[in-house]
Amino acid sequence: MNALRPEETATLEAAALRIRQDILRMVRAGGAGHVGGAMSCADIMAAHYFSILRIDPAKPNWPDRDRLILSAGHKCMALYAALRQRGYFDESILDTYGALKSRVPGHPVMQKLPGVEANTGALGHGLSIAGGMAMGLKLKKSPAKVYVVMGDGELAEGSNWEAAAAASHHKLDNLLVFVDCNGLQLSGPTADIMNYSPLAAKWAAFGWSVRTIDGHDFGQIVGNAREAPFEAGKPSIVIANTVKAKGISFAEAKVDYHYWKPKADEMARAVAELEAAAVEGLKA
Amino acid sequence: MREFKDPRVGFGNALLAAAQKDDRILALSADSSGSSGMTPFRKQFPDRHIEFGIMEQGIVGYASGLATTGWIPFFSAIAPFVTARPFEMFRNDLGYMNQNVKVVGRNAGLTYSDLGATHQSLDDVAILRTIPGVTIVCPGDPVEIERAVQAAVVHQGPMYIRIGAPSIPVLHPADVEFKLGKGIVMMEGSDVTIIATGTALWRAYDAAEILRSKGIKARLISMHTIKPIDRELICAAALETPAIVTVEEHYLVGGLGSAVADILGCMPGPHAPLKMIGVDDQYASNGPYDELLGLYGLLAEQIVSTVEGFIGRKMPRS
Ligand SMILES: Cc1ncc(C[n+]2csc(CCOP(=O)(O)OP(=O)(O)O)c2C)c(N)n1
Ligand SMILES: [Mg+2]
Repeated sequence: MNALRPEETATLEAAALRIRQDILRMVRAGGAGHVGGAMSCADIMAAHYFSILRIDPAKPNWPDRDRLILSAGHKCMALYAALRQRGYFDESILDTYGALKSRVPGHPVMQKLPGVEANTGALGHGLSIAGGMAMGLKLKKSPAKVYVVMGDGELAEGSNWEAAAAASHHKLDNLLVFVDCNGLQLSGPTADIMNYSPLAAKWAAFGWSVRTIDGHDFGQIVGNAREAPFEAGKPSIVIANTVKAKGISFAEAKVDYHYWKPKADEMARAVAELEAAAVEGLKA
Repeated sequence: MREFKDPRVGFGNALLAAAQKDDRILALSADSSGSSGMTPFRKQFPDRHIEFGIMEQGIVGYASGLATTGWIPFFSAIAPFVTARPFEMFRNDLGYMNQNVKVVGRNAGLTYSDLGATHQSLDDVAILRTIPGVTIVCPGDPVEIERAVQAAVVHQGPMYIRIGAPSIPVLHPADVEFKLGKGIVMMEGSDVTIIATGTALWRAYDAAEILRSKGIKARLISMHTIKPIDRELICAAALETPAIVTVEEHYLVGGLGSAVADILGCMPGPHAPLKMIGVDDQYASNGPYDELLGLYGLLAEQIVSTVEGFIGRKMPRS
């Protein structure tokens, strides 16, 4: 079953491709960046900003807007790319990546850019902040939902588990987490560095309603987000299996591309690959 | 006879009174609502009292998120556990995100005297002073506690309020002028200025009275706000009186004395020298509160002799 019509899927594919191209644009401007995790969550971010979130770029402080908290703040190039594509700010700002006082720093800052909801970057903060937002919105009887994107390596931060317990204890069923489960973290496979499997069972034991999906399948991303909460009275979590650095063939699933400083000709190859994918998309 | 009051009860009552007028106020608890004075709040506003259990790091993050949606969370618990434990959450989620959250550290200083260094809080002001935009208030008597809570509701931005636990005497008239960032001159004097804060204020007050009875005209300032500190009042004292003594139940590193030293150190021209009374570089001991204060020179009679010694030894000013 696919929750999306073919043209909706095509729109999201195009949006995700633009996000990936913008990520390269920022890496070009700044000379380096956390490209692996940004690329792996690009489809999840496209699905949120072009289908799931109830937001209005003209009113970034609208009280009843949905919030997306990028807990793994180092993936921020994907966030910047999504926000600019939704018109939160001019795309020229992306070209300041890495520059002094840039509004698009290596981790997001809410005071610098409309649409950024929290100052993340130190891993393990986003879920508590999002939980507080979900709680605050519920207390106000707002229909808004709070979405969180986390890394799988990030889950080793103990603060997440405090936040998780509190979200289920307080029945925050307006909270939906996507774990960008790319199987890698900074220095190696998540299973070798600090193994948190079985992940689904851990979250379930913390009182969350858990689903596992292919994190590059738009039908599954959007379809599950629309069905949240998966169980009334429980926070929901989607463990999205992804490929780190997805979209750049030579970098995919390689830990070396967590933080990428392109070697000679690497950037040209990556740009050409995405360009080819864009042409392919136009033909389809 | 002066009236002694429990600071936690005073905080709780002030919070309740504020919440009756302002429905944005929430009380957040880490399994210690009652001992933080928030039982009356919980009884009257059960829906606005949120229990989290013992997860102080997470609570600071939740408080930040709650504040983004327009609530004014007051999070009160044992001082080290709302400052040193969740320091990075305080810095990023409250400071860097500039959220309107009020953190209240109770049993601060040496007041958990018998429980030892894990529960005493002698570094809270020092570490929080490093966070840009955080207001730090150490109210020194029951009136200041009430005023600090009222000011916290009006002030936009993250704030830390530091209170003790043993009862403290009422020192101010009910209508005293209280402004964040402005010290209160409680006694005028020209021989020495004593600047005290928070839990140490009333013993400094007693010391100033004893000095006056001995003919030493001590100026006494209650410096309830450590950040932003009242630079003007400190500079005036440094020019108008020949010596300054600070008194605090905190480490000498990074507390009131250090904040005053920062200002005096950059002051051009001749000005009064500084003597700091507080706890030096060590884990404080344990035992009965008054006896513990005595180990660090924080009893009124000890403050008197430190002041006398300092003025006596001081070089005469030209
Ligand atoms: C508290 C903290 N510790 C360390 C880091 C440095 N760091 C940045 S990303 C990263 C790995 C994160 O792995 P994961 O969550 O799996 O994200 P991915 O890039 O794989 O999407 C680390 C260790 C950090 N940002 N925050
Ligand atoms: Mg990962």
